[in-house]
Amino acid sequence: MIIFIAEKSLDGLLSALFYSFTQKAAPGKVTDGTAFQPGMYDSVIKIETDALQAERVKKGLIRYGGADIVRRLSVCLLSCEEEAFTAAFRYAYKTLFLRKDISGNMADPVTAQFIFTEQKVWRERHNILGFLRFAESAGGVIYARYSPDNDITELVAPHFLKRLSGLAFVIHDVKRNKAAVSDGYSLKIMRTGEAAFIPSAEEKNFAALWKRYYEEINIPERLNPRQQRRCMPVRYRKFMPETYEKF
Amino acid sequence: MDEHKIAILADAAKYDVSCSSSGSDRKYRPGEIGNAAFSGICHTFTADGRCVSLLKLLLSNDCAYDCAYCRNRRSNSLPRATAQPDEICRLTMAFYRRNYIEGLFLSSAVYKNPNYTMELLLETARKLREEYKFNGYIHLKGMPSADKLLIERAAKYADRMSLNIELPSENSLKLLAPQKSAPAIITPMRMLADKRRIFIAERGAAALPDFSPVLSENRKREYFLPAGQTTQMIIGASPEPDSHILKLSQALYKNFGLKRVYYSAYQPVPGAGAMLPLSPAPKLREHRLYQADWLLRFYGFTAEEITDGGNLSLELDPKCAWALKNMQHFPVEINSAPLSVLLRVPGIGVKSAYRIISARKYAKLDFADLKRMRVTLKRAMHFITCKGKFFGSENVRALTRLLSSPYENARQLSFFSPDYYKELHDPEDEF
Repeated sequence: MIIFIAEKSLDGLLSALFYSFTQKAAPGKVTDGTAFQPGMYDSVIKIETDALQAERVKKGLIRYGGADIVRRLSVCLLSCEEEAFTAAFRYAYKTLFLRKDISGNMADPVTAQFIFTEQKVWRERHNILGFLRFAESAGGVIYARYSPDNDITELVAPHFLKRLSGLAFVIHDVKRNKAAVSDGYSLKIMRTGEAAFIPSAEEKNFAALWKRYYEEINIPERLNPRQQRRCMPVRYRKFMPETYEKF
Repeated sequence: MDEHKIAILADAAKYDVSCSSSGSDRKYRPGEIGNAAFSGICHTFTADGRCVSLLKLLLSNDCAYDCAYCRNRRSNSLPRATAQPDEICRLTMAFYRRNYIEGLFLSSAVYKNPNYTMELLLETARKLREEYKFNGYIHLKGMPSADKLLIERAAKYADRMSLNIELPSENSLKLLAPQKSAPAIITPMRMLADKRRIFIAERGAAALPDFSPVLSENRKREYFLPAGQTTQMIIGASPEPDSHILKLSQALYKNFGLKRVYYSAYQPVPGAGAMLPLSPAPKLREHRLYQADWLLRFYGFTAEEITDGGNLSLELDPKCAWALKNMQHFPVEINSAPLSVLLRVPGIGVKSAYRIISARKYAKLDFADLKRMRVTLKRAMHFITCKGKFFGSENVRALTRLLSSPYENARQLSFFSPDYYKELHDPEDEF
């Protein structure tokens, strides 16, 4: 089996496609090389990211796969699933190979795998839009910690920039040491370390009020913890004030 | 607002079923805070499995009315509280900034009289929008018999309003909620529906959902219930069968353009009169009504098709029940059936139907393809053919047995969760 090792980014993916078409090499797997053990008979090819090649491939992709294909591929690359990179590669490869948009053909395993992977990322993003919790710091900046399965900080932050415009906020992905920082008007994604957070004087009160509200709104006669777990997976709860202690 | 007050007002509001924040496309405005997501966003889920999207509060639970089915009725002895509009605004803003909530759902008991209460509700919404510059989602409850002008003004500030029908017939309403009357609820509903229709017609496309990321310049920043109206009724407190309820919902959707009708299975309230049943209505009945409701709104069914005068079957979901009674329409060929026919196949939902329609343009589909597309075949396989092949059962009686689930609530006991054991022995599950 041929294995491509490429940078897990849009340009990396596009460069891999360029290599694949020019060198006539069809990989069985595409990976970013982390946590990866090649098999005895695998031939591993390392792909160099090249912006110029990427640009050419991008043009072709948009021509055959529609205007949103590039965005969709980059969303798929944010997935934490091991197969995500390969899924994105296969989908793009097939689009270029057949020279047509295959996004509607869910009966095709390549399309199905790509779309389901992409959907999973969007679904988590949608959940996080609700589950993210900000706390006000003594300095007035609001700060949220979270640890999503997929690398969705870039997808989540613009929603809050629009919604909380004018308010400075930080969204901190503690798993990846990555943060979206906003002064209320623009957005920056950056690497971070540990963050020291000093809550404002009111913060504790509001968290307690919210927790009380959360407990009061429950109808004990209709208890259904299974449904609750399905809708709000336990792994998200440690960052939410209403469920923090129960967790 | 202190913790005690919030507890009383939240506790009193929790029996209101509606908590959705969808349907509004309120755009961000410079200098204000918030917007509304068209899809709606759930912010947390309580232990009863319900989503919390809005801060659901009563402005007051100090009710002048005495409706038999209601916990907040005058004759019930409960701690009472009334909040000031400002208190609610401040709390909403603080929660919204922390992303606890998507907006405010404000209802109220009839405090002093309907007009007085409606004025307070209106004042709260106005303050939030104009003074606190809140641009998130607001759901307001309309008070029955409140002045038309008050309700209409409230609609300019709210994203969605609801007037509760409470009970599915006028007789039951007279019996159980003597101070409310059907015209007092229906007239404002009709008024709002008409005004909204006029608003949309005058604005043309500008009043319809706009998916562009920023507010377009020529679009005036005015709204009239962008997320429409909803209503709610209690199931099982009065004798009306499901067929009656569904016909009523159908009429509401058709005539008033309602977005949702919510159903809530009756829970006995302490000290209720002898007119009310002693046992709660089965939750499964509520579930079946919701399933039927979806069939009305998204699947092209009519209430007359789904019900035959009585209640819905508890064993079978309404779509399955309809299909089994109308086997002459089946099986349908997946590769040629139009959308409206695909939607009537049990087990095929709206998403699956669209997937099938789109995928069959590339190649003919067979069962393996459907499986790959994650179309659930458990029920569907008995009602479809793929390239002329059929893998289901033709024996309708055997099929009915196969598809019905008399023990829908049965499940494996969990070692860690004693709640499940308790739930299994819950009397309301034994029907």
